[in-house]
Amino acid sequence: MTKRAAQAAVWAASAAIGIWLVLDVVRQRALGVDDPGLYFVVVATTVAAVAANGVARSDRHAVLAVLMLWWLVAAVGSDAGVMWPDSRLASTTYFVFTGVVIGAYVHMALAYPSGRVEGRNDRLFVVATYTVALAWIAIPALFYPGCTSCAPAVPSLAFTGSTFDYSGIGTAFEWIFIVLGGVFVGLIVGRLRSWPRGARLTMVPLAVAGLFATVHFIIRQAAILTTWSQASAALDWADRINLVAVPVAIFVGVLAVRRRRGPLGDLVVELGNAPPGQVRAALARSMGDPSLELALWLPDHGGFVDETGAALDVSKHVGGGRALTVIGPPERPLAAIVHDDRLVGQRPVLEAAGSAALLAFENARLQAELRAQLLELQASRARLVAAGDAERRRLERDLHDGAQQRLLALGLALQLLQNERPDARLLSEAQDQLQAALHELRELARGIHPAILNEKGLQAAINSLIDRSPIPVRTDIECDRLPSPVEIAAYFVVSEALANIVKHAEAQAVSISVRLVDDRLVIEVSDNGHGGATPNAGSGLQGLADRIGALSGSFRLESPAGLGTTVHAEIPCASS
Amino acid sequence: MRVLIVDDHPAFRDLAARLVVSAGFIVVGKAENGASALQQAAELQPDVVLLDIVLPDRSGLLVAEELALQENPPRVVLVSSRSRSDFGSGFAWPERSIFLPKHELSAAVLAALIGGS
Repeated sequence: MTKRAAQAAVWAASAAIGIWLVLDVVRQRALGVDDPGLYFVVVATTVAAVAANGVARSDRHAVLAVLMLWWLVAAVGSDAGVMWPDSRLASTTYFVFTGVVIGAYVHMALAYPSGRVEGRNDRLFVVATYTVALAWIAIPALFYPGCTSCAPAVPSLAFTGSTFDYSGIGTAFEWIFIVLGGVFVGLIVGRLRSWPRGARLTMVPLAVAGLFATVHFIIRQAAILTTWSQASAALDWADRINLVAVPVAIFVGVLAVRRRRGPLGDLVVELGNAPPGQVRAALARSMGDPSLELALWLPDHGGFVDETGAALDVSKHVGGGRALTVIGPPERPLAAIVHDDRLVGQRPVLEAAGSAALLAFENARLQAELRAQLLELQASRARLVAAGDAERRRLERDLHDGAQQRLLALGLALQLLQNERPDARLLSEAQDQLQAALHELRELARGIHPAILNEKGLQAAINSLIDRSPIPVRTDIECDRLPSPVEIAAYFVVSEALANIVKHAEAQAVSISVRLVDDRLVIEVSDNGHGGATPNAGSGLQGLADRIGALSGSFRLESPAGLGTTVHAEIPCASS
Repeated sequence: MRVLIVDDHPAFRDLAARLVVSAGFIVVGKAENGASALQQAAELQPDVVLLDIVLPDRSGLLVAEELALQENPPRVVLVSSRSRSDFGSGFAWPERSIFLPKHELSAAVLAALIGGS
């Protein structure tokens, strides 16, 4: 239910009740009766309607406002038969509402403040009260033709013409109502005790009014039972005071609830509910600055990013009527807000809003980090696939240009030998082609996957690499057998680094170190060449970085110009 | 029949030359790239050119097309270490050319291809 609907209902019902009461007053005067109580009822009802309107001013309390209306209508309607005793419609209205008003009262009180009755006990009690109250009027109405000595006095709606003795049932009902009253008091007190301390204060007005109403009700029942008639006038007045006390109490409680949350509370709730990507918009809305910019600090990237994970240079937005507020300690910023500089005077509010929004920021920050990592991951996967394809193309070309040509030549030589006389030169040519083909195939196979890596391990494979190196290599290798992906990645780091050094670096000496440190394999290949290597130069180093990244390792290249190059890789070795 | 042999692999050139001779034809020249192939073809006017598709300076197919434009264009036997199926059935071969995979090359096949006018 929205507040608009609730407010409309309040206005409509208030208008109806107002008209009704005016008619009441007019009729009274026409009858020559001047009951001050009626004027008090008019005032009380007006106050109650105003209170209901106040409660209806927020979506949160709309249902509660409607319940207040419901009770108000029942309370006023239950007076109807008194005003027009000869009207059957009025009498019917009167006795129906007399039953309903008790249930409506309990319903409204227990639904405070959300407008819904929560909890099994409370719900059962509300249902029981409605049932009992409606039974209390239905039984005489159905079984008693024109019973004027019943309480309530009911017109004849009876379908049976029996002369049932109601007084026993009547007394029973009075006792039941006393018990219900006691249970109601218990529920209200229980609520006061079980609610958290901050909320209890908002419960106090209703508790006081409710207790007052219930005590009055119990006394009234007792007076009926003991036929203590002098109490009647005082009790009627107490009834009318109830009419204004309870709605006002509810209204005061609702105001207290709203004041506690305040605008910052609304902001926190709104930010907490804002979907990722909407935090900036929510903050801009509550600060009233539509061009507000929100930047989150990503420590990994050492810079600010916006909510989508794209880099954001905050210094570019400052100036020209816009100012910057940084959230968090200056050495470890968390976020920054670029806002209209007229908000600078409200710095405490901004900081409070910023602190309140930190949870939403954290969430958005983590999501931005995740998105950035995901983008990098996707790019890395694409590169790995492309590298695999490039490898295959190279293989095809090497096979085609190398071993295949040799074998074709061998075939031709053998043909010639078949056709002509045996020729020593031709035979030795055939033999050369065959040897060359086998050599090229061996080289190719080693490039695809060196068998020695499988059989003897990383140390042996690296040693065989350096045997073929034209540059002297110093090694420091200390590791036993490791899981296969780790050994393969380590081998290719060394072989790729060595190949680059031989091709580009113009170095005189190379040093390779491979060591196991705390469950991580640490590989370093350094040379004393001219440095200046970069991973983007298509030197295969990017592919290495991707391969190492796929194993959750780390890859670093240090290559200051003129000072040589060091390739540093670390690969975690999962304990097998 | 006067034959010009064009291939960038020296061992293949020599062996193919011996094969052509043993098939009963004459080798008038050997070229190792497209440029020298076109030059020798213009000078020597061979009847047949044994032409590798993969040459270092340009595609043998382009060379074949240029040969077809000469006066008295020679017959072209395009050879490759790839097989026929690598090119696909819809491949548009240059005019006056035949494709022969290198592994099918033999004196008998050459004689059949070239000797038959």
